[in-house]
Amino acid sequence: MLVYDVQDVVKTYPGQARPATDHVSLQIQEGEIFGLLGDNGAGKTTLVRQMVNLLRSDAGRITLYGRPVNQDPLHVPLLVGYMPQESQALNNLSVGEALFFTAHLRGLSRADARQERDALLELWQIGDLRDKYSPRLSGGQRRLLRLAVATAGSPPVLVLDEPTNDLDPQRRKLVWDVLRHLNRERGTTIIFITHDAIEAEKVIQRVGILRDGRLVAVGRPSDLKQAVDRKLRLELIFSPDSSPDLPPGLVRREVQPGRWVVLLDWSDVMTVLGQLNLAQLDDFRLYSATLEDLYLRYAAEPS
Amino acid sequence: MPPNRRKPPPLLVQLVDLLLIELTNWRWSWRSLVITGVITPLLSVVALGFFARDSGRDTLAYVLTGSLVMSLMFANMGNVRSHFAYLRFMGALDYFATLPIQRYMLILAVVLSFLLLSLPSLVATALAGSLVLGVSITLHPAILLVVPLCALPLAGIGALLGFIARTPEEGSSLNLLVTMVLLGLGPVMIPPDHLPGTLVALGRLSPATYAASALRQALIGPVTGQIVVDLAVLAGLTIVIFWLVGRKMDWRQG
Repeated sequence: MLVYDVQDVVKTYPGQARPATDHVSLQIQEGEIFGLLGDNGAGKTTLVRQMVNLLRSDAGRITLYGRPVNQDPLHVPLLVGYMPQESQALNNLSVGEALFFTAHLRGLSRADARQERDALLELWQIGDLRDKYSPRLSGGQRRLLRLAVATAGSPPVLVLDEPTNDLDPQRRKLVWDVLRHLNRERGTTIIFITHDAIEAEKVIQRVGILRDGRLVAVGRPSDLKQAVDRKLRLELIFSPDSSPDLPPGLVRREVQPGRWVVLLDWSDVMTVLGQLNLAQLDDFRLYSATLEDLYLRYAAEPS
Repeated sequence: MPPNRRKPPPLLVQLVDLLLIELTNWRWSWRSLVITGVITPLLSVVALGFFARDSGRDTLAYVLTGSLVMSLMFANMGNVRSHFAYLRFMGALDYFATLPIQRYMLILAVVLSFLLLSLPSLVATALAGSLVLGVSITLHPAILLVVPLCALPLAGIGALLGFIARTPEEGSSLNLLVTMVLLGLGPVMIPPDHLPGTLVALGRLSPATYAASALRQALIGPVTGQIVVDLAVLAGLTIVIFWLVGRKMDWRQG
């Protein structure tokens, strides 16, 4: 079943010459985990805000379960749990209060809302924060609370804007585990924005990549990878003070100081490895294309 | 077909939950409620009372009720303005916008919560002002209607400022300007015979004038037919202002 149908959507902010979303079309099926990737300013947040009816589109049409999102103001809130990218505080509520009131306002009875609060505290492993006020939480704790709030009342669709920002590796793993659990056990459709392409690869079933407001690629990671899969990824790790010498003709991309990535044809691998001066390297890794490569290929490079 | 949607909660449930959520604002606002809701009006009572001490009971009654209007302005208009600005600029309005609630329930909950939170300040200002100025208070039952109807249009103006200001700083400046204009325009703190005719005439456009008049009658007396006019104007202004607030609320797009 089609959950979201985004057709030719455009949004230009006042005073801006370039549209933030530029004729974007996208379909999301029920039960999918869909990842939206793109650089800062690519239009990801604008697109999801249009999808949850917080931002009016200049052109195009977005339907949720076949009904335009702006037809009935309660249509999206009754079906979608949305976590915005930035939200400083849920008033001055404690964690337990925020979960209870959200579940109750999403239509659960008081008794069910209390049960839901306790289940969410356990699911998101924030039971020890139950009586803490949300403005007093750390960035990571607040992110988990907002994720728990988005999932309160078990909406069939979740739209999450950067769910793993501010989180340490252990909590990032928790988030991906919980999202996978909700998708598997309840069939929740999950749409999220992330910059964390490598970790998101573990859960993403389909991906869309935005660049300058345009959707430049959409599909299963395995299908999209075929475009770059003929290449292998050679990652070189070295001291930032002394760069290694590369065989002539290789194009390197600096991921960060002391870390280069080179894309190689299969046939060149042995030759290149034989020509590398291993004494100049701390480490090297060779693997096939990842979701991050797709992201970099489509989001960063001109088509 | 979409999955079975839950029904949105009944309006009363929405209002009660949102009111309880909004009442938690006392956790951050109690200091400002005390400072602006009691101390500032009391300072004005003392200062104006000192100048007006030989001007008679009527003038002192204006000073007292004008200070009460000032207290309501700070505790309702100012706090509602800053709260809606906070909701807008800190992204918290998105939280409410993505819940199955009606926008007017949220506006009503915010306004009611600050009205409830302002009552202690109002009582403290009235008692202390009465003692300082030596004006005796005789409560008329109409006070139960007068206080909410005085607070609501002021809170509505605050909500409007919270939604139209482009930045929190701009909202704060606008709030100060409107407070000064409303207090200075018309016989709010000063009797009409001490004011230029133009100001008295312009005061007929200000909710503060009608609020001060209604408070004066319900607290000090005598209650005349004017209170019906005052309450009718305040009720009418409340409806118009809240209609405007609903239109200006940066909320869902549907």
